[in-house]
Amino acid sequence: MSSSSSSSSPSCPKKMITLKSSDGETFEIEEIAALQSKTLESMIDENCASTPVPLPNITGKILAKVVEYCTKHAEVGADAESLRAWDAEFVSVDHPTLFDYILAANFLEIPTLLNLACQSVADMVKGKTPDEIHKIFNIKSTFTPEEEEELRRENQWAFD
Amino acid sequence: MEIQPSFATDYLASGPRLVAAAVATALCLLLAFAFLLLSVVSSKSKKPPSSSSPSAKQPASLKACDCPCTCGSSVLDSDSDSAPMAVGKTYANGGGVVEAAAAAERQSGASMMEQLVPEITTHALSYLDYPSLCRLSMTNSLMRKAANDDNAWKALYHKDFTLEQDSVTPVNGWKAYYAATRAIVNINSDFFNIIRERSLQSMSRLWLNADYVKCVHASGELFSGYNAVIQSWQLAFNWDQGVDFQVRDVRVRVLTDMAWVTMKTFVDMDTGPFNVTNVFEFHNGQWYMVHHHSSVMLIDGDVDQQNIHG
Repeated sequence: MSSSSSSSSPSCPKKMITLKSSDGETFEIEEIAALQSKTLESMIDENCASTPVPLPNITGKILAKVVEYCTKHAEVGADAESLRAWDAEFVSVDHPTLFDYILAANFLEIPTLLNLACQSVADMVKGKTPDEIHKIFNIKSTFTPEEEEELRRENQWAFD
Repeated sequence: MEIQPSFATDYLASGPRLVAAAVATALCLLLAFAFLLLSVVSSKSKKPPSSSSPSAKQPASLKACDCPCTCGSSVLDSDSDSAPMAVGKTYANGGGVVEAAAAAERQSGASMMEQLVPEITTHALSYLDYPSLCRLSMTNSLMRKAANDDNAWKALYHKDFTLEQDSVTPVNGWKAYYAATRAIVNINSDFFNIIRERSLQSMSRLWLNADYVKCVHASGELFSGYNAVIQSWQLAFNWDQGVDFQVRDVRVRVLTDMAWVTMKTFVDMDTGPFNVTNVFEFHNGQWYMVHHHSSVMLIDGDVDQQNIHG
């Protein structure tokens, strides 16, 4: 393996593909980085990636971050520790953005990003009481007090 | 029109209802429902009751409309007579806009969850442990449906307990099966803790007081009937000087009121390891031990170590 970092050797130019977000922004991503997305990988294999790939489900803001993620993870020679720290930083965003990451990662089939984002959401939920979960995700309880009491009884086994 | 200050305090006084009302408003605006009703609500509002049927379809909305200051907005009035849960015109335009915005924000939390298609939800839930999954199911009805998903609990079962029983279809669903398995695992651990503590009292409470209970100790001796079994434990506790041991490979099978557990116990170099089987029965809301069988495990090539052949 070449000892150089992500920059390619002078003789082979980096192959880029263009992605187009739902709001019309275009982003360039190295083909190597794009291979992390199974969706993009199959498109590249079938030679459908020469023109800009439209991604109608993903906004520009999210797509920019996804490209950043894939590019970072395609780098060779990055040590695991610093990558983990980078990942932790990457997912310290607000909840709507985190959910958007999940949806984008699911659509583009990027297992590492999907796992990262899902784990992040799970960590937010773990150990929290239902009320705290209400606050975190801004969701409203739709239960009557009687229903809540019944639920508490139903789930009591988990808290003994 | 501006909202009167008095309405403001009324709002503040009934925060949760207001939120629900706001959500309802947003739903109305978005869906332009014309089917639901006023009934309870109309009796409190100044607006004359609509012509729609009095029966409420959504208990939550009834609650929401409990407050005298209305859930509806003036926009709804123009839409239809029977706007769902809309109480009255008393809600002014300015308020309507603010409420709609707040409602949209609150609704976004719920809609975020909705947006996650089933596979992702199940995938995301798979990262949670069982207490978190239970707590999530207590947050709201949408989450309850997601968090009680059978496949999620089946996956959790396979993660926490065993990959066995994959072809089993529990009668009451996987969540209940998980809960029952967890209960048996706990009581099984209690059994070993009782042995570690050498507490005869606890042991006598654990066993079912019946003539058909049996206990086969590692020595090979069989004791039959509650009294004999408890006596055998008394002997064992008096004799052993408190050994510690490890329990591994616990496998549980639970049926409605009976469960059996197999496991391996490892003591030290000179003793064990043992294959152990415990059987429990469910009586009067509690699990009781009815059978225990411990036998020396055969290890390849180390036949001398145990007195298998006596």
